This record gives sequence, C-alpha cells and structure tokens, in this order.
Amino acid sequence: MTGPLVFEDVHIRFGSGSRATWAVRGVDLEVPPGSVVGLVGESGSGKSSLAKAAVGLVPVASGRIELGGVDQSGRTLRRRRVQMVFQDPYSSLDPRMTIGESISEALPRGIRRAERRTEVARVLELVDIDPWRATSLPGDLSGGQRQRIALARALAARPDVVIADEITSALDVSVQGSVLNLVRDIQRELDLAVLLISHNLAVVRYVSDVIAVMRSGRIVEFGGGDEVLERPEHPYTQLLLESVPRIGSALGPSDHATRRE
Amino acid sequence: MRTARWRAALRTPLGATAAAGSLALLVLAVAGPVLWGSAAEETDVASMNQPPSGDHLFGTDDLGRDVLARVLVATRTSLGLALGATAIGIALGLILGTLPVVLGQRLGRMVVALVNFLVAFPALLLALFFAVIFGLDARGAMLAIGMAIAPSFARLVQTLSASVAGRDYVSAARIAGVGRFRLIRRHVLPNIAEPLVVNATMGAGGALLAFAGLSFLGLGVQPPTYDWGRLLGEGLGRIYVNPAAALAPGVAVVVAGLVFALLGETCAAVLGVRTGRGPVAGRARHAEQPESGKEAAGTGGDTVLHVDNLTVAFPAERGTSRAVDGVTLGVRAGEAVGIVGESGSGKSLTALSAAGLAPASATVSADRLDVAGVPVLASSEAQLRDRLGTSVAMVFQDPTSSLNPSMRVGRQLGEIAQTHDGTSRAEGLRRAVERLTWVHIPDPQMRAGQFPHEFSGGMRQRAMIGMGLMGRPQLMIADEPTTALDVTVQREILRLLRDVQHDSGAAILLISHDIAVVSQICDRVLVMYAGRIVEELPVDRLDGGAVHPYTRALLASVPDMSTPQDVPLATIAGRPPEPSERSPGCAFAPRCAFADDLCRSTDPVLEVVGPQQRAACWHPQRAESVSGGTAGEMPGGTAGQSPEQTPARVTTGDDQ
Ligand SMILES: Nc1ncnc2c1ncn2[C@@H]1O[C@H](COP(=O)(O)OP(=O)(O)OP(=O)(O)O)[C@@H](O)[C@H]1O
Ligand code: SF4
Ligand SMILES: [Mg+2]
Repeated sequence: MTGPLVFEDVHIRFGSGSRATWAVRGVDLEVPPGSVVGLVGESGSGKSSLAKAAVGLVPVASGRIELGGVDQSGRTLRRRRVQMVFQDPYSSLDPRMTIGESISEALPRGIRRAERRTEVARVLELVDIDPWRATSLPGDLSGGQRQRIALARALAARPDVVIADEITSALDVSVQGSVLNLVRDIQRELDLAVLLISHNLAVVRYVSDVIAVMRSGRIVEFGGGDEVLERPEHPYTQLLLESVPRIGSALGPSDHATRRE
Repeated sequence: MRTARWRAALRTPLGATAAAGSLALLVLAVAGPVLWGSAAEETDVASMNQPPSGDHLFGTDDLGRDVLARVLVATRTSLGLALGATAIGIALGLILGTLPVVLGQRLGRMVVALVNFLVAFPALLLALFFAVIFGLDARGAMLAIGMAIAPSFARLVQTLSASVAGRDYVSAARIAGVGRFRLIRRHVLPNIAEPLVVNATMGAGGALLAFAGLSFLGLGVQPPTYDWGRLLGEGLGRIYVNPAAALAPGVAVVVAGLVFALLGETCAAVLGVRTGRGPVAGRARHAEQPESGKEAAGTGGDTVLHVDNLTVAFPAERGTSRAVDGVTLGVRAGEAVGIVGESGSGKSLTALSAAGLAPASATVSADRLDVAGVPVLASSEAQLRDRLGTSVAMVFQDPTSSLNPSMRVGRQLGEIAQTHDGTSRAEGLRRAVERLTWVHIPDPQMRAGQFPHEFSGGMRQRAMIGMGLMGRPQLMIADEPTTALDVTVQREILRLLRDVQHDSGAAILLISHDIAVVSQICDRVLVMYAGRIVEELPVDRLDGGAVHPYTRALLASVPDMSTPQDVPLATIAGRPPEPSERSPGCAFAPRCAFADDLCRSTDPVLEVVGPQQRAACWHPQRAESVSGGTAGEMPGGTAGQSPEQTPARVTTGDDQ
C-alpha cells in the first residue's frame, strides 16, 4: 500500500485570460487506502475535472495531487497507480480492438507474452466476464458488460486507487445494481481505494464509507456516509437530499411564487 | 459481415461500374506498355499527322506514331504518377494531421494554424508554385501535387483525429501509460481509416486531373516520356489537323477520374461514410390505415390519447423487427400517465408514434391511434402539423435539439403563435414572455431576448415546456425530460410539469427509465418490457403492490436512500431481448425466476389483477408471497437468492 490519494488545495482552470473558468477552486480531499469515498454534486461542479486531474488528463493550475509521495497530476507518468473508469461504456472501449487487446494494453510493462494472456483472463474473471470473451469486439457486448470490461482494464494496471466517474449513469437500472455490487465486491477483495463520483445520492450512499459534497468547484461538506446524509449541515446538501425522487414521497410545492393565477 | 457488405455493393450498379472500371485501368496499366509499347514508339515519317483511319483508329502524331497506342501505354505513367502524388499527399497529410495529438496543446495549435493557412490557397496554385520549385520534370510534379493536396488532407485528418482523441478510450489508454505514437497507431488511425480511405480514393482522381493539367502546361512529364496530359497538350496543338489526337487522351483522363470518383462513392457506401449526397437507402414512411369501422373498447369521450394495438416495426436483416408490439393505452383529459421501461423497451417509440413523429424508416400500424381527436395514421403530415401543432406539446431529453440555436428564445416561441394563431409579431412576443413567466424563468423579458445557449440546461427545458404552452395543449408528452439534469433541477422541472398540468388542464404522458421520477407526478404507471406493456398500476400501488415479476425486480434493483449497505443489490440476470430476437412466450421468461413451460410457450396477455391494475403474467406475484421485503430477497432472476449467497456474483459473463 502506498498511502492515501491526497488532493491538496487543487485548482483547475479551463481556458485562459478573460475567458478562463475555474472548474475546481481549492479542493482538499483524501482517499484513504481500502476505503470508498463518494463524491456527489451538481453537474458542472467540478467532479469530473478533479478526477481527470488525478490521472493526468487535465492539468492542475495549482495545488498537488499525490499518491505515496508521487505527483499524479503530470501528463507523463510511466506507471499510474490511479486508474479511472469512464461514464459512457460505449465510448470508453476502442471499437477496433478486441477486449483482450484493450486490457492487455493496460498491463504494467515488462510482463511476458504468455503471462499477459493469463493476466487478461484473471482480470476478466474478476469482473465476472468469461475469459473467452477476450477475443470479442466491444460491439458484441451490452452496456453493462462493457462497463465491467472498462473496470477490468483499470484493474489490469494493478492500481491502488480506482476513480469511477458516473459509471452507472449510462446503464439501465436493472444492470446498474450488478455493476455496483461488483464494484463493492472487488473493492473489498482487492482492498482498493475507490473514489466514486455520481450525481445519484442513493448510489453514492450505498457504496461509500465517506461522502464529499461538491458545489461550484469546492467541497462544501465531508464526512461519514450516515453523518452527511442523516444530519446534513450545509444547505446545499440538505437541498440535494430533499430533491432525491422517492416512491411514495410528495413532490412539494414549487419554489417559485410566480404561479399562474 | 464486412465482406458481405462489399459483396452486396458489387451488385449495385455503382459498385459494379466502379469495380469494372478499376479492373480495366489496372489491366491497362500493367499490360499496356507490354502490348502496345513498340507500336507507340514506332515512328513512321510517311504517315505523320494522319486523321483516324483503319490502321490508326485515332490517327497519328507528328512523328507518325499511333495515338491510340500511346494513350493506352500512357495509362501506367499517368496512374502511377497520380497515385504517387496521392501517396505523398496522404503521408504528409497524416503527419501534419496527427502532429497536434503528438505535440500537445501549444505546438499543436500552431500546426493547426499552419494547415488552416495552407488550405486557404487553391490546390492548383500551390501545385504550380511547388512545381516551379521542385523542377520541371515528372518527379518534381509528383512532389508538387503531393504537397498541394496535403493541406486539405491534413485538415481532414486533424478534424477526425481530434474527435477520436477526445474519446474516452483514448483517455483510458493514456492513463494506462500508452505512449503518444502508439496511441496514434493503435487508437487514432484505425478509427479514422474509413473516411480517409474514401477521401484518398477521391483525392487520387483529383491528383490525376492536376497531373494532366501540369503536363499539359509543360510543367510535368517531359519528353520523351509522356502521360495523358502531355498527349493532350500535343494533340491540342494539332487539333485542326487531327482532333482525335486531342480527344483520346482527354477521354482517358475523364474516364479514369470518373472511375476514382465512383470507387470513392462505393467505399463510402460500404463503409458508411457520408459524402454529402444523401442517404444510401431511404425508406418511405408507411402508415397503415386503421381498419374502418373497427371500434376499440373503453373509449371515453374525454380521452386525449387513444392507442389501440399499436405496432411499430423496422426493417431488419430478416424480415421486420417489432420495436413496439401491440400496445394499448389511453390517457384521459387532465390525467398524468407514466411509462417506465429499460432502454430499448419501446417507450419513446410509443410516445413518438402517438404524436405522429415516428422515424421515417418505421412502419406504424394500429387499430386506432387518436390524439386530441385527430386520427394520426389517417392524416397527412401537413394535417398533423397543423392540427397537432398546438394541441400536443413534446418535451425531449435534450432541449438543445429542439430549440433553434440561432434564434432568440422569445422569437422562437412567438413564431408559434404567429403561424398557428396568426397573431402579430409583437403579440407573439408578448405571449412568449408570458409563457416564460409561467414556466418560472426569472426576468423573462430579458431572457426572451437571449439565445438558447445562454440558458442553463434546466432553463432550456423550461423554455421547451413554455414552447409547448404557446398553443393550448391537451396533451404534453415528455420523454425523459429530466434525465440530463441534476436532481435539484429535476425536482423543479417535475414540479413545473405538475403545475402546468393543474393550471392548463393538459394531460401528461411522462416517459422515464426511473420509476421514482414517474411516481412523483403521475397517477398511473405503465411498465414496458420488450415492446409491450407488462403491467399497469396506480402509483400508490407501486410500493409493494406490483405483481409482475419484472416490475418487482426493477423496483428492488434500484438502491434508494434506505437500502441496507451490507446486502448486495438485487439484480436481474441477463438482458432484454432485441426486437429481432424475440421468441414465442413471455419475453421476460429467460430472466424470470417463476418461468415455466406455459410462460415459455404462450404469450401472457394484459389481464385485470386488481383495482385499476393489469398485468401480463401467468404467475402474478401477490404481495403476500414476498417473504421479507429487503432488496436481496426480491424474487426475480438471481435476485431470488438470499443475501448470503451473494446473488450478484453468481451471474456470469454472458449476461448483463
Ligand atoms: N430509427 C430506428 N431504426 C431501427 N430501430 C430503431 C429505430 N429507433 C428505435 N429502434 C429500435 O426500437 C426499439 C425501441 O426503441 P425506443 O427508442 O422506443 O426505446 P426506449 O424505451 O425509448 O429506450 P431508451 O430508454 O434508450 O430511450 C429499440 O430496440 C431500438 O433499437
Ligand atoms: S409470464 Fe411467466 S415468465 Fe413471464 S413474467 Fe410471468 S411468471 Fe415470469
Ligand atoms: Mg427513449
């Protein structure tokens, strides 16, 4: 174990000059080894930017993102111990490459050919996909299966931390459950650290040990899952909680006074 | 599959011509010099500049050489040079085009700017310029033309690779530590290859013409070698003596150019790349007339939507596939009805067909399909637009696709009043502002003057609803209106829909994959599976009262704010059947824990199972038969197992 993934006063900016927008404005966050941190927040609050910075896909303007003393925010890191699974299972796998090739690409360097095959089979089994699928193309698989394979690819890199960015929001509800179960099981089995990003509070609540609530580029509330959800302190967290649609609960009156006569 | 498509393309007139033409050119290029090489070189001073005759079909040139033989022999040189120039252009284009991906942002931007600058010059001008620089011979001309066509090719590569480089799989490969060059070779190039092939083929035709042009001007191929351009130049000099000597090489250039163009079109058709000539195959919308005189049961005078036995089918590889398969539903005035179901269950198609908006390739049929008193299937498109335009409002998941980005929101809304009610422009705008107020848009006067992109997602959705309210909608169809929105905004939009329903008296048909969303504003829920309605129940029965195994499994598999964290979520093994692979019997049978032989052989029909509740199931599950109530114990697929058996992990790779 290499210690926690630490975000320290991270700022992320898109564009420059007068058109610059600050997506992340000073985030401090820690993802301890072997735990699941849930990150919720409205769209545009900077969740995905933060995730992408941790794997070097977007540069940080200031601040540090470290894992075991190694800066993770640079573009050119030889071996990433932080891996990411993306939202859209239909665009996260190269349609021209077989499942096996995609996964094999993510294996750490210096693994011999013969070993690669068994390694690919191993991670496929981890995510409950038949290893013979290694020769299939993504086009032959359903959304849920693709998301499992994207997870397998992330695991193939032998990461310490996996960032899952809205991995179930493009899936059907009946499939979502099995992917969430899988994430939980694997996290426990491999003792991984997971940063689970979602706008779905119920999903985050179900999987996470700790929950961080993000708004406008800042973390506005942080704490144990029950703590945050049962006794939310920040008004935004309260609003978020109230807004979750529930069967059998009333929708409440409009916030706006300007009703028509 | 791929080869089958090529083979099919060969059977089309376009493909057949392209193939035959390419083959002929290839044979000529290979065999031409061998067969007619000596005839083309044979000078005969006695018969200089002869017009066409039996011996010389296209006459002779000023050394008495046979023109036809020379044109045929020149095929090799002409094609070879054109292809060489294309190859140079492609190579340079690929390098310039992929450089931005390799170089990173700042340097990459400079390359893009350079390419944009070069593209601004006409290719022929560039070719002339380079030809002078590289020297007046075949090699110089080839380089020149190659460099002249490189910029446009580079730009194509840039646009294509930029879009691929933005894909998640490229990001994923980056994170996995794949280097830049490998990234391009393995991920970018293969995924942009198809449009490039098409473009290169057409580009070769262009290069051929350009080459002919240069040689004609004396800048390309130099004597004693000759290509079509050269022959054309020589022939034109003697056009009054022997016009055929100019005609033959001219025809050769045109024919070869055509062959390349046809070949490009064929590739485009097979590979599915658009060349801007419209769809390869289009099928007219076909609406079957309702059987006359057939009255559906349960017609109420106040029904705004009456759908009886609706079927929506698409042409499939074998026959047709029925995406919606016999749906019957009714929505009464002022009622809110929800349709839930997974992706592909047919909920959108049901709603779209009801509004006469089914895709053109669909075959829609129904015993009856009436909206706001308008028989949809028996009306022409113009009639529908006119009569449904104001009485049915549609709200889609992505409001950007339905709002015109180049028109101010107020104008856009106002225009509806102008076209449908013939109001003045000012009155239309006034009404637009009023409607924007109704949908709770703050500062509506100012917002009406803005463009859609200046609105947030939630506000655009409000504007969309406001647009629907411009008429006097009797029915508002909302297809996943909140799926792209945050929960907080979602709640506002749902409240808005509810208020609109109350205030305007419009009925609502709300489509969502999220049963909780539907439960918020609807009175009744229809659950769709594989193109059919499998259960229909009042919203207040959702909590524990559902009887169809699919509905129950669906409800159990979604975590809510009270789902115990230490129990795996219930799952439904397998996935819904594709419309084309539906077998007889209950479509849910392969995933259902209660399926028996009856289920697998005979389709259950919707039958009343309780007050206002219907289900299509041979073994409806009553509330009493549920043992506990925790998620893990939910019957349905693997979910039927107890928590200790970890239902999630027993499902294997060939499902979900
Ligand atoms: N234009 C089309 N051509 C061929 N098949 C189509 C077309 N449009 C839809 N289908 C098929 O019809 C079926 C039902 O589609 P529909 O869009 O109604 O599903 P849906 O329930 O709205 O799904 P989603 O939740 O993904 O929006 C699907 O299997 C789909 O593939
Ligand atoms: S009819 Fe049979 S297979 Fe279909 S849902 Fe009912 S019990 Fe299951
Ligand atoms: Mg849909």
